[in-house]
Amino acid sequence: MRRGLIARSLVELPDAVFDARLDRLRTAMQAAHLDALVVYTNNTRPAGVSWLAGFVPYWSEAVLVVPRQAAPYLVAALSFRVKPWIERVSRVADVLHTPRIGLKAAQQIAAAQADAAVGVVDFDGLPAGIAEDLRDGGPQLTWHDASALFASLRAVADPAEIALASRAADIGHRALSAAQGETLNEMIAGVESKARALGAEEIYVAAAPDLERDARFRRIEGEAGFGKTFALRATVAYKGTWIRLVRSMCETAIAQEAAARFAQAVASLPSDRGFAGFRSWLVEGCRVTQPLDALIGTRLGEGHPPPPGALVSVQAALAVDGQTVLLGAPALIGRSGEASSLIADPLYD
Amino acid sequence: MLGNSVAAPSGTTLAGTSLAEERRQRLTAAMREAGIGHMVLYGNAWQGDYLRYGADFGILEGHGIALIAADGEVELFLDSATDAQRAELEAPQVKVQLAPDIARAVGARLDRVANAHIAAAPRRFLPHWLADATRSFKLDDATALVDRLLMHKSAGEIAAVRRAAQIADEAYVEFLRAVRPGRRQYEIVADIEAHLRRKGCPDNFMIIGSGGKDVFGMTPPSERRIAAGDLVTTELTPAVEGYFAQICRTLVVGKASEAQRRAFAVFVESLEAGIAAVRPGVRAADVAKAENDVFRKYGLGEYTTSQWTRVRGHGMGMFADSKPHILEDVDTVLEPGMTLIVHPNTYHPDAGYIVLGDAIVVTDDGAEVLCKTPRQLFEVAA
Repeated sequence: MRRGLIARSLVELPDAVFDARLDRLRTAMQAAHLDALVVYTNNTRPAGVSWLAGFVPYWSEAVLVVPRQAAPYLVAALSFRVKPWIERVSRVADVLHTPRIGLKAAQQIAAAQADAAVGVVDFDGLPAGIAEDLRDGGPQLTWHDASALFASLRAVADPAEIALASRAADIGHRALSAAQGETLNEMIAGVESKARALGAEEIYVAAAPDLERDARFRRIEGEAGFGKTFALRATVAYKGTWIRLVRSMCETAIAQEAAARFAQAVASLPSDRGFAGFRSWLVEGCRVTQPLDALIGTRLGEGHPPPPGALVSVQAALAVDGQTVLLGAPALIGRSGEASSLIADPLYD
Repeated sequence: MLGNSVAAPSGTTLAGTSLAEERRQRLTAAMREAGIGHMVLYGNAWQGDYLRYGADFGILEGHGIALIAADGEVELFLDSATDAQRAELEAPQVKVQLAPDIARAVGARLDRVANAHIAAAPRRFLPHWLADATRSFKLDDATALVDRLLMHKSAGEIAAVRRAAQIADEAYVEFLRAVRPGRRQYEIVADIEAHLRRKGCPDNFMIIGSGGKDVFGMTPPSERRIAAGDLVTTELTPAVEGYFAQICRTLVVGKASEAQRRAFAVFVESLEAGIAAVRPGVRAADVAKAENDVFRKYGLGEYTTSQWTRVRGHGMGMFADSKPHILEDVDTVLEPGMTLIVHPNTYHPDAGYIVLGDAIVVTDDGAEVLCKTPRQLFEVAA
């Protein structure tokens, strides 16, 4: 459950940003003959609604309804006592409160047009109870999966999203730089404290406590020791935009060599050729509503290669002079003829 | 009280089995009794308790679905590559599968056992594709069955909740230190989360409110600065080994006014009445009524309605806000081993929004209060 800063910034996300996104969406809806679009959100899948309206539920669930010819409104399971908060942190024309969000959304759409064609983003993954309520609430409505339509718009980052990712990366980098202390828990506390104090909406810190034994990350509960080399990973959200960063604690020369190879490999994305010789690698990014979907990587087969202009987060493991080093940073996939580029330094002082 | 760290996850029961193994045994016994061959448990970072009960994994990202066979074998499907790697380490006893298209991956697995009796919990959260009636398999709704297991805690589970309540008490001491005029709400929460991580506590649910009569509830932290005279409310809900325990308290920045003191006294009386009503055999509704009757006695009955408050308490365990909800229309009968928070949190017209609540466990003859923080209107320097 979210407990970081959730606040709308009219500087970072002015109305014009949402208007431009909605204009593109409505153009696509018209081409697809959709009268309305429904996007579900909870704190696992917030990226569709936050992109369109800035709303991130700290708890519970909601759907955003985007009529093709009217302003978007939110149907939320959060109680109406929270309405002023939702209105402060979001950009929606109205907020309706009900525990049966699917039923209410369908009834509202049907009240405007009983036989409307309605697109549902990530229809297959929608909670079954909500999908059933949508059908019950609008018997004459026709339902269509709009995942591909939405993904085509969402995949390429606009300047506002790149700016938010850069801010998130800055928070994450400064937080990982604050990893100090005698114990692993003290270091994790330092990272978390810094990120939240800098305004992170969320941060998850994971550790690979001994890279000589295991290069996988886990969440630490209780006491945990750490080895000669170890790594911390910070997953940071800032105003709906998520990134991951990894810092390995190892000799400076080893870290520098690893960072150079990592940046070189990232530059070749979405091709995987740069990662030849790496032990593992993973590229994540937002496709539809989950902030960091697995796109391509060692365990993913063909996966979903990110398109030019996509924001991604890259993690990798490689060996330098026999030492395992883990790295991670967000990156922007290059447009035609351009190399891809990291948007955060994978090195730390 | 300060200075204790969360013990390294012992995860053991009095019988020497792990908590995870004990849960799995209880689940598979309930499945056999109900004639269920396979159980599908869904979870995400918001509603992760059903999944964690069966698979012992605290999901943070994406969807997770565990398939539990009646013989106790567990397969865990995750669509987040990052969480799948974490699950391999944190839940080594289960078979983890990275499945970017999780509904179809689980569907393909269920096709192989389609003739068996398969049930799911919570069915309403399952991906729509998986629950669709056109699949080769049928998923009965076993939510009530798993809810019973989640509500009735074993001695080992209660011990984990008790440790979480101790952590909550300690975190409130830190909260009192953190609240100072001029600080922003999110900076205070940063201090509390850092304190919990330092103690080895990986998870917490926390909301906050600050201000005067203009504040009607708690939310995630905002940029609002603490000011002299503010009432500052919070509910802190740390987790130990996946079990949450909650405390709710209110403080004043500076000296409490007479109106604030008088208002707070109603909440103390209401909380005491609610806890006094807890015993095996009573309904959740009886506890809510005992709390609300105190407000009615003072002519404040309006403030016990849904216009001003959500619930008068709720269950606690693998979810921070689990069943039963303490409301006057909830007929769930309390039984020994249930863990709850009783909290008459609501708005008071003379003071603003006030919270006060303690975690408890239902015993054979009443309630054991797990929170030790005094039930007082705290004051911090203005």
